[in-house]
Amino acid sequence: MKRSLFGRVWPNATALVVFVACIFPVYWMFATALKPTGDIIAEDPVWFPTNMTFEHFGTAVDAEHFWTFVRNSLVVTCLAVLFSLIIALAGAFALARMRFKGRRGFVIGFMLAQMAPWEVMVIAIYMIVRDASMLNSLVPLTAFYMMMILPFTILTLRGFVAAVPKELEESAMVDGCTRVQAFRRVILPLLAPGLMSTSMFGFITAWNEFPLVLVLSKESGGAQTLPLWLSSFQTQFGDDWGATMAASSLFAVPILILFVFLQRRAVSGLTAGAVKG
Amino acid sequence: MTVQTERPPSSPADVRKSDSPSAGPRPRAASRAGALAPYLLLLPAVAATVLLLGWPLLKDLLLSFQNLNMAQLIQHVTEWNGVDNYKEVLTGEDFWRVTLRSILFTAVNVALTMLLGALTGLLLARLGRRMRLTLMIGLVLAWAMPVVAATTVYQWLFAQRFGVVNWVLDKLGWHSMADYSWTGSQMSTFFVVTVLIVWMSVPFVAINLYAATTTIPGELYEAAALDGAGAWRSFTTVTLPFLRPFLYATTFLEIIWIFKAFVQVFTFNGGGPDRLTEILPVYAYIEGVGNQHYGMGAAIAVLTILIMLGLTAYYLRIVLKQEEDES
Amino acid sequence: MKRKLIAAIGVAGMLFSVAACGGDDGGDSGKKAGADGYAGQTLTVWVMDGSSPDQWQKDLAAEFEKKTKAKVTFEVQQWNGIQQKLTTALSEENPPDVFEIGNTQTPAYAKTGGLADLADLKEEIGADWTESLNESSVFEGKQYAAPWYFANRVVLYNKKVWADAGLKDTPKTRDEFYAALKTIGEKTDAEPIYLPGQNWYHFVGLVIGEGGELVKKDGDSYVSNLDDPKVAAAAETYKKFQALSKAPKDKDEATPQQGEVFAKGNVGAFIGMGWEAGIAIEANPAIEKQIGYFTIPGPTADKPEGVFLGGSNLAVAAGSQKQDLAKEFLKLALSDKYEGQLAKLNGVIPNKEALQTNLKGNAPAEAAAPAAAVGGTTPLIPEWAAVENAPNPIKTYLTAVLNGKSPAAAAKQVEGEFNKRLAQQQ
Repeated sequence: MKRSLFGRVWPNATALVVFVACIFPVYWMFATALKPTGDIIAEDPVWFPTNMTFEHFGTAVDAEHFWTFVRNSLVVTCLAVLFSLIIALAGAFALARMRFKGRRGFVIGFMLAQMAPWEVMVIAIYMIVRDASMLNSLVPLTAFYMMMILPFTILTLRGFVAAVPKELEESAMVDGCTRVQAFRRVILPLLAPGLMSTSMFGFITAWNEFPLVLVLSKESGGAQTLPLWLSSFQTQFGDDWGATMAASSLFAVPILILFVFLQRRAVSGLTAGAVKG
Repeated sequence: MTVQTERPPSSPADVRKSDSPSAGPRPRAASRAGALAPYLLLLPAVAATVLLLGWPLLKDLLLSFQNLNMAQLIQHVTEWNGVDNYKEVLTGEDFWRVTLRSILFTAVNVALTMLLGALTGLLLARLGRRMRLTLMIGLVLAWAMPVVAATTVYQWLFAQRFGVVNWVLDKLGWHSMADYSWTGSQMSTFFVVTVLIVWMSVPFVAINLYAATTTIPGELYEAAALDGAGAWRSFTTVTLPFLRPFLYATTFLEIIWIFKAFVQVFTFNGGGPDRLTEILPVYAYIEGVGNQHYGMGAAIAVLTILIMLGLTAYYLRIVLKQEEDES
Repeated sequence: MKRKLIAAIGVAGMLFSVAACGGDDGGDSGKKAGADGYAGQTLTVWVMDGSSPDQWQKDLAAEFEKKTKAKVTFEVQQWNGIQQKLTTALSEENPPDVFEIGNTQTPAYAKTGGLADLADLKEEIGADWTESLNESSVFEGKQYAAPWYFANRVVLYNKKVWADAGLKDTPKTRDEFYAALKTIGEKTDAEPIYLPGQNWYHFVGLVIGEGGELVKKDGDSYVSNLDDPKVAAAAETYKKFQALSKAPKDKDEATPQQGEVFAKGNVGAFIGMGWEAGIAIEANPAIEKQIGYFTIPGPTADKPEGVFLGGSNLAVAAGSQKQDLAKEFLKLALSDKYEGQLAKLNGVIPNKEALQTNLKGNAPAEAAAPAAAVGGTTPLIPEWAAVENAPNPIKTYLTAVLNGKSPAAAAKQVEGEFNKRLAQQQ
């Protein structure tokens, strides 16, 4: 098929515009963080951080308990994602490969669970955790974050499991594997991209969570996570945009790296995942 | 609906197609264990859901029938007040205004996201390899940006002083925008929040749809071409029907995600100015936690959940049917 | 009626259980003579951002440890969202043992039963607390907190900017003040005054200066009085001065901290607490030499502008397991030595008249003193705390006026919300 010059140019031109629109806020965050304050509040924007400085990052990292926040965030997020993957994988396998009474009910149930508006249930959760004497602990945070991502994880993984040709599993079993072995040797490797893309969602949700940790962890230097640090930083430094952007950059970097690193594998599996069900 | 699963086969002859409705004779005990297997596999997920979601929901429901304010919370006193909270919420104007606003807000954002997302997805399919990779990286970066950080960045982009957006508008000849306060009015606040949400949500839709288009079998297009279909015809007869389930599923996800866009709205302008940009979750939070009127907040939360169910009922019905067809 | 009764029983039960805790601790304090009574314990104290200097905290903690063998940790809190945080904290097993609480918020918390009764403390050390400053701590005849410090706003100005504008004297009247700021705007490129649209404490001061009230009594309850012409006059004054500022109309003085804006050296003046100079100096030490203070000028030279008499009390959580230790802490923190040191370091009004000598030679305190006499507070009623929850209707009112609404229309706009909060079920 032959296309006119115009036909070949406009997709690329549009793509470029979309690309810039996507990337600019991210770029501006890093650029502002790296600029000296004088350049940040210049009458005409300084588009490139030519006089690079790490001073703002210094301010951000100097905040009290910064490394505690980092550690807590990493621990809570990783554990929440890990647990939800394990629990969800079992459930997803049942939903995708087995037939049993009430299967439909389970699927709908998880879809409903996915809709749970966690922000508005903050006080109920607070009272439960308080009455269980578990405030200022990473345990309830991990548990609830796990729950926040569990329904999505189950439903997505179910699609991935269903997309693995049944014949592969069967032929493995013909070769004398038990069902568990077949699962481990055949299905699991094929599920890897699915597990990655699903865990990306889980990671970003748990990494971001804010309203719950605000009421569950008041003790400074206790079980507080990075979103709290970022928001308190914002109140404290208000219009010091250099410091605020440096803080935002530090907060965003782990996720950005994770996504760029995983995106190719993840995207290849997305089709199967997000949709089935 | 038949209940059947497999047990570990002892010999190749024992392997069946899991779809086949009739199975060969099997030892009873093994079959019973096999029948339990799916439930056992689902048990952890169900237990977690009941404990970590069901319980808070029940608690929230109970709280919604209580007069729970500062004093009661501090002293751990339970004061039942029947349906007073619901009566007050439902008879007041605020709740209905916020509900309507929430629905409009969700509709506009979802429509924009789906439209731009779908177009971007189709664009990805048309691009050459290098440009596609470039755009993909841009999309992934926007998508990956954590919402708290993204909202902060948008505050800076749209800052009244030294914000780059105001500068650009000023240079474009829109001089009254030089010192414009985006947080100053309802519409300008919603405008920024909408830009933010669409920016964050488009990549998911676009990448998803693009991935879906790659799975459309080429023969379908060839067949359409043989029938003399032009580009538009083959789009409406092949691409669109194939993408329909993907579109439904992503729309459903976007509706629930955008309806719950608490962090964006709350962080950007706290539901202001003058409470004019509060959407339901923000309203529930401000009335409940902010105003320390916790019972009232719980009632609004329950109503919020009901409204959300209503909004997604159509899709849930489709899924229900689909699952029925499959079993 | 019945519901109230149930609540009352709840309160009684609560008091009883607190008494029981106190009893336990009493056993401990019985060993005080052994001087090891509190060893190994740690007292948690919440103080608000900026209210007590590091030096004060350090000296106090050291002496407290020497005296009681117990440690004390200060946790600094932000005013933003403090009520939500405090309410939940007070309901917990381990609330902060001692905490700073704003005078306008104290009655509401006294009513919730979250504050311990400090009658014995008042008897022991509070005989000479200034009567008017103790008012907010007393609810229904009981002492629920101890007055800690008080302060009212002054004008902090940048001497260099004023000199650059050719100004020699500080203004004595509101008109002179306005004219001076105008001059700065014309003769320098500095921002004459940094006044964000929602510095509602300053607005309350202006209302008090006009002799107005924000609320009025309507039968048994309080309702909005924002439609009073006196309030409107105060709003107009605010608007006139705000027009000279580039500060956002929909933000308060803490977002961003106005001291930090001032620290950049390009702002002529701002209206704030004397200790906010500390924020500026921390952000830019070079600014220290340039900061001057004067009383906010009133309509005539002999009468300074009305001010909001802000203040903080120290309270003990009713749920604290360390009642006696907490009281030991209060005795030390409120002793003449530390109360005096705080007054001296922060330029705030101490809780006893005798300690005011500490303010001699303290520039911000001397600028604040003339206005304190004509200062006032918001109504000291339990219903008030709800008004201060975000979004505070008075802030909304101010922003509306600044954005061009007439004061009457703005009053009408927020009236519903204001009244709803004043009537909010407790």
